[in-house]
Amino acid sequence: MMTPGSEYDLMRLLHGELPADEARALRARIFREPELAEAYAKLEQTWQGLALPPASPVPPGFTGRIMAHVRSKTGPGSLSWSVAPGWVRAMAAAALVAGAALGIGVGRSWPAPAGSADQGSEPSSAFLASATAETSLADSYWSLVEDATVADGESEAQP
Amino acid sequence: MTTDSAISAAVDPGWEALARVAAGDAEAFAALVESHQERLLRLCERLLGDAEEARDAAQEVFLKAYRKAADVRPQGQVYTWLYRIAVNHCLNQLRRRSLVRFLRWNDPKERDAPTYDPPDGAAGPAAALEARRQWRATRRAIARLPENQRSVLVLVRFEGLSYKQVAEVLGITEGAVESRLFRAMRRIEAAQEAGDLRVSMGEAE
Repeated sequence: MMTPGSEYDLMRLLHGELPADEARALRARIFREPELAEAYAKLEQTWQGLALPPASPVPPGFTGRIMAHVRSKTGPGSLSWSVAPGWVRAMAAAALVAGAALGIGVGRSWPAPAGSADQGSEPSSAFLASATAETSLADSYWSLVEDATVADGESEAQP
Repeated sequence: MTTDSAISAAVDPGWEALARVAAGDAEAFAALVESHQERLLRLCERLLGDAEEARDAAQEVFLKAYRKAADVRPQGQVYTWLYRIAVNHCLNQLRRRSLVRFLRWNDPKERDAPTYDPPDGAAGPAAALEARRQWRATRRAIARLPENQRSVLVLVRFEGLSYKQVAEVLGITEGAVESRLFRAMRRIEAAQEAGDLRVSMGEAE
């Protein structure tokens, strides 16, 4: 005999949601009771009658389109810290403070000797200093242009 | 990370990837998109009934996921979380549509819309016609359902989710899933009996 409860059970059976023993018992009832069998057949027909075409395939480059969309909406800066979880931000802040404290501590315990900056003992530093003093940026540029022109002229002159 | 979330992350490694997304890892985000875009596109298309609109919707779903990645509490599977965002987005989208747009399946222009060949091309033109008739009737049936029944029906029938998974996606009880599904089935049966969902051969062409 059909009851509202048994209608729900039929639906659960159809969708594979009934526990195995209950499903077995209900199938036996469906076999015995024509009314129940008819209701189940109707339900099954309705369910199987629902059909849709295959979904459209993922368009090529869709991942790139999504990435670009997200970047355009969130901005390059938001890709790192603004969306990081709280614990990540806390860790980062703690690391920053610790790093700063360490830097200050090391700086105080290891002061640079007085006048070391003026002595310029490094050969490369001395060379750079003299080069900067003797040649301007503009001079360097025009000498490069000259070299390039000469090189072009030579290559054109060759047969 | 809490103990609970650590356990969930162990269940679904997707949560770990999502944590990297939250930290700004573009590669992790690209991987997340790659692995879920197909099913999200399909779900959006089922709910909205339009492929192009589904692409826009999926795009927005991933944007929302990106924005929420930092605040999400790992629970269950990542895809059910994404499904929830997608369902909510699509339902909002449907609400925004005008009534005419909402019932677009009745639009005569739909007859000109591209159709898919049925899976078995050898079955012949009669089978193809029948398949198209069935698709059209189903689309019409889905479009006429209230939104809460529509989402449940689509998730169970076309996404193959269990009642439990649907409950998780929609944030409702399994009993509510059953009840909505039952009412949806009843509506569809009634519409079929009334002949509302039948499409004449002439209309299908």
